[in-house]
Amino acid sequence: MRQTMKYASVFAVAALALTACGSDSADSTDTGTADGTETSTAEEASDVRVGMAYDVGGRGDQSFNDAAAAGLDQAAAEFGIETQEATATDGEPESAREERLQQLIDAGYTSIVAVGFAYAPSIAVVAPQNPDVHFALIDSTDYEGENVANLVFAEEEGSFLVGAAAALKTRTDNVGFIGGVQTPLIEKFEAGYIAGAQEINPDIEIQRTYLTQPPDFSGFGDPAKGKTAAEGMYQSGADVIYHAAGGSGGGVFTAASEANTMAIGVDSDQAKTAAPEVQDVIITSMIKKVDVAVYEFLKAEVEGNFQAGPQVFDLAGGGVDYSTTGGKVDDIKDQLDELKQQIIDGEITVPSTPES
Amino acid sequence: MSTPTLQTPPVEPAEAPPAPRRRRIPLWFWPAGFLAAVFVLAVLRVVTGADDIASSGVIGAAIALAVPIGLAGLGGLWSERAGVVNIGLEGMMILGTWGAGFFGYYMGPWAGIVGGMLCGIVGGLIHATATVIFGVDHIVSGVALNITALGIAKYLAARFFSDLPGGGPTQSPPLPSLPRFSVPGLSEQMARLEAREIFFLSDLAGVIGGFTTNISAFTIIAVLLFIGTFFVLWRTAFGLRLRSCGESPVAAETLGVNVIRYKFIAVCTSGALAGMGGAFLALVAANIYRDGQTGGRGYIGLAAMIFGNWRPGGLAAGSLLFGYTDAARLRGGGTVHALLLLVAVILLVVGAWQLKRNNRVQGITSLVVATGAALWYFSTDSVPGELAAATPYVTTLLVLAFASQRLRMPAADGQIYRKGEGH
Repeated sequence: MRQTMKYASVFAVAALALTACGSDSADSTDTGTADGTETSTAEEASDVRVGMAYDVGGRGDQSFNDAAAAGLDQAAAEFGIETQEATATDGEPESAREERLQQLIDAGYTSIVAVGFAYAPSIAVVAPQNPDVHFALIDSTDYEGENVANLVFAEEEGSFLVGAAAALKTRTDNVGFIGGVQTPLIEKFEAGYIAGAQEINPDIEIQRTYLTQPPDFSGFGDPAKGKTAAEGMYQSGADVIYHAAGGSGGGVFTAASEANTMAIGVDSDQAKTAAPEVQDVIITSMIKKVDVAVYEFLKAEVEGNFQAGPQVFDLAGGGVDYSTTGGKVDDIKDQLDELKQQIIDGEITVPSTPES
Repeated sequence: MSTPTLQTPPVEPAEAPPAPRRRRIPLWFWPAGFLAAVFVLAVLRVVTGADDIASSGVIGAAIALAVPIGLAGLGGLWSERAGVVNIGLEGMMILGTWGAGFFGYYMGPWAGIVGGMLCGIVGGLIHATATVIFGVDHIVSGVALNITALGIAKYLAARFFSDLPGGGPTQSPPLPSLPRFSVPGLSEQMARLEAREIFFLSDLAGVIGGFTTNISAFTIIAVLLFIGTFFVLWRTAFGLRLRSCGESPVAAETLGVNVIRYKFIAVCTSGALAGMGGAFLALVAANIYRDGQTGGRGYIGLAAMIFGNWRPGGLAAGSLLFGYTDAARLRGGGTVHALLLLVAVILLVVGAWQLKRNNRVQGITSLVVATGAALWYFSTDSVPGELAAATPYVTTLLVLAFASQRLRMPAADGQIYRKGEGH
């Protein structure tokens, strides 16, 4: 009996650790389907052949991957390029990602788009082996190479604007930030938000928290945690909360709706995509235009203008922005646009790491 | 959840002279203990300035986080009392979240509860068939179930939620919500008293208010299930037979108990309860089905069950403790940091007591840990998030370390039973 208990506890711990490692994607945690195929050809076909490797979730996740897919669709329709898509499965080994990329290359696809920072290690292996193939790596500069374009976003600049919006909208001078998992990527959102709020009101109180710490990535998919954290912030006086917590954000919106307060969405225009009964509490969203990045990369490919190295999609380039759906920020739009212009002109520099 | 908790455990069958029965704890102990606990929290609040420590908000959040853990643990309790180790609780919970999402969306929240239960039973049936009928190792079957259930739920979600408005391959559309209740009169009074910030009285009002305000109907069902479990397992012939299967199946068999049937029923009930835990997550805690939303709560439920010494009352206390630490961490406000001081003081007392009883090793360990916690408290302003997240696990470890001699699992727990092999 003691033996069994020992084994049971060992397995319980192992299982815990394994589940924590299981989900490895930031903006999406979802079904791992087998490789999907989609081929499209338009009238004036280009000879660029695009292989698209999605992160866990793939096409149809209403979030990060879908945004990338939208960019691909737009480019495919416009330039008539041939495309092939493949999707990562949850909890797969690193080698599976390498194989996925290599299979696309073996099938003759010479422009590979890897969606999500989780692909960085496998690009580091595959890219040097295939010098003639062009790669685009989204959200990561962990590997840079002569044939790799790193498509990254200035999330902190977009977050700065919604931070300013929060500071302008709050009636209690108390705002909140909820991050899904404390990774450097999400800390960029936090840093920009704080800077934006303090730009408007240096004495503003900012509550901030992360739902989980790596390697526990459940903070991107646990609405109950999001709701609990948001309730705590609202009850301690905050009346606007910005979340960068993926699927946990739904809980933040629910809490805002129950407390009759305000919330700010992330990645896409959530006043359009969130559940209908909570759309009303979303005053604005920090939009990250992954579709634009993918489209621009493919456009450059078609035109033969491949450019290696990091390409930052910032406010100036329209890579990040704030949304105005619902008309909740119409009254402060002028101020926000002024700040936006100041960032674009370089008068304001937004930090990308939060002061501790 | 109070009175039955610390009753004398059943006398160990193996021991030759009957163990001396411990004194029954008098009834007045529980309200007095409750008041004392609140008083300690009130003092702690004043000393540390962590205002959220006994507010109605944190108590309400703790209850909402405790119910899924508690239901999963209750499932584990049923199964293990009948001698089947159930590490597959997490998988059954996952099936429950999907069931609640599917049936809840189409047929309303009450059907969602039933749907979660039914899907949990499916998981229970798989585990029961493997372990009870085919004699598969319990751990192997449970782990297999966890992995399979994850895949099944993802497949089903992608298959049924993708095309619904507001749904997607990873999440269901928003689910209708269950009614919530407050105790009329009392909860308003408590809110008013809490707002006046009087030492102790306001803390007491906060705690009572948290337990009586805005409580979901599902929470009430969960409490009834705890009470019901106690009565069925400890006050009926059915329960006695079921527990006998976990203590000594061969003896039960010689007395005419159909061990296989009892174990089967127990594991299926276990699945139903874990599935309801999943349903609570989807219907009440989040009002949406979302991939991966169980986040390991099945395992924490198992830990809470061990914490509670395989008894419903102890399990309830363990779940509330885990729910509270989780709520405190998520809500921030320095509560976790303040709890460090509490841990230090408690360990100091425990250490002194152990030393007095000549338990040198335990006493000195407690004192050393207490000093460490105190040093930590006084030298920092906050607990890093990584460590705060581990609070439930640290609590379980502490309990296992200091109370392991008193924990007593069912004697035949985890053993594979085959009919007629006892001869």
